[in-house]
Amino acid sequence: MSKILLIEDIPDNVELVHRALSQTGYEISYANDAETGMAMALKIIPDLILLDLGLPDYDGQTLAGWLRQEEKLNKTKIVVMSAWPEEAIRQVVESYQCDGYITKPIVKLKDFISQVRSFLRND
Amino acid sequence: MLPVNENTAIKLIPATQYTFEQLVDIYNQTRIDYMVPMPMNTARLVEYVNTYDVSLEHSLVATLANGEKLGVIMLGVRDKRAWVTRLGVIPNNRRLGIGKALFNGLLHQTQKLCINFCMLEVIKNNIPAHQMFLKFGFREVGELLVLRHSPLEKKNTSELANIQSFEREQALTYLNNHQLIQPWTNQYESFVNSSEISGFYATLNDGSRGWMVYQRQKFLLSRFVFHTETGNPVKVASALLSHLHQQYPRLDTYVENIHSNNPHLPAFYEVGYIEAFRRIEMWHGEPT
Repeated sequence: MSKILLIEDIPDNVELVHRALSQTGYEISYANDAETGMAMALKIIPDLILLDLGLPDYDGQTLAGWLRQEEKLNKTKIVVMSAWPEEAIRQVVESYQCDGYITKPIVKLKDFISQVRSFLRND
Repeated sequence: MLPVNENTAIKLIPATQYTFEQLVDIYNQTRIDYMVPMPMNTARLVEYVNTYDVSLEHSLVATLANGEKLGVIMLGVRDKRAWVTRLGVIPNNRRLGIGKALFNGLLHQTQKLCINFCMLEVIKNNIPAHQMFLKFGFREVGELLVLRHSPLEKKNTSELANIQSFEREQALTYLNNHQLIQPWTNQYESFVNSSEISGFYATLNDGSRGWMVYQRQKFLLSRFVFHTETGNPVKVASALLSHLHQQYPRLDTYVENIHSNNPHLPAFYEVGYIEAFRRIEMWHGEPT
């Protein structure tokens, strides 16, 4: 079973992702700030990290930078979630060597689930 | 929630009447739908208040008569200078004049303090806020860049330089003698109030010389000021930045409020910085 770590500080967004992914069979964990997210990632070694860029302690870019430098996480996909303009998100994805992005807000849960599945499939 | 309209009395309450936790909660709610939300936790707000000399006594929270919180605005105060920051209105209460009421209330606070120079930054393309500041008599004085450098970016300059490091005391001496008017976040006092401040001095083979001061936090490099004493500022900054990232290869970098006409700016791009977003710097009154 694939493991997903969602790092997101807004409870409504966590709830939405939970609702979308709860029926998929993935094992989902949550962290609401960067330091907790880092600790959890190292503990559970997820297959996929869904990473919000706006976090209350360190932002998502800083966290992506740490995560990408961790040997233990070299097989973990990191997918940025943000409402930024797509060009800006693409730049972040490239600079911080993430695996892709999902734009916010999540409007259609079905589409979101398909995006998550495609990131997990692309090995 | 009670409806808010023009006839609804809005109360402006000093921020000292709220805990830091409550202020964080209000602030984060105001930013929840921002494109660049920049939420905070309590530790970050405490640090922010201390670093930027935010006077909670003169900062305001807007509420309804029943205490429901609508928005917040904060004021940094240094001598007779002030800085408006963290203005935000919780989404459901926008377009009802609450931002204007908060801003007006804050300007009354500056009058009480006999402040004669006030500055602020507004994110470029936040047109409603920009327009409001113009109406209150603020004027644009420049554009500020927020830049990032990923620790995974390994571009370096080929500039050969002799680089010496210096510690906090020397860094503060350099900054104190640096006469340019900086945005509030990069002013001398912001560095005095910050920990982990140090710097580098570069002497290049072609005779160019200059220094940079920076802050090194646990996971992040930030708060840069550059000065070229003689020679080519791009070469000086390029050598300094390359050296910095060689010293701290695992740290992310967030550089805030670099003027778009800063002569060192091209060096950032040379060593792989990307532009995150821009702010417009606005002033009211004249700096003394």
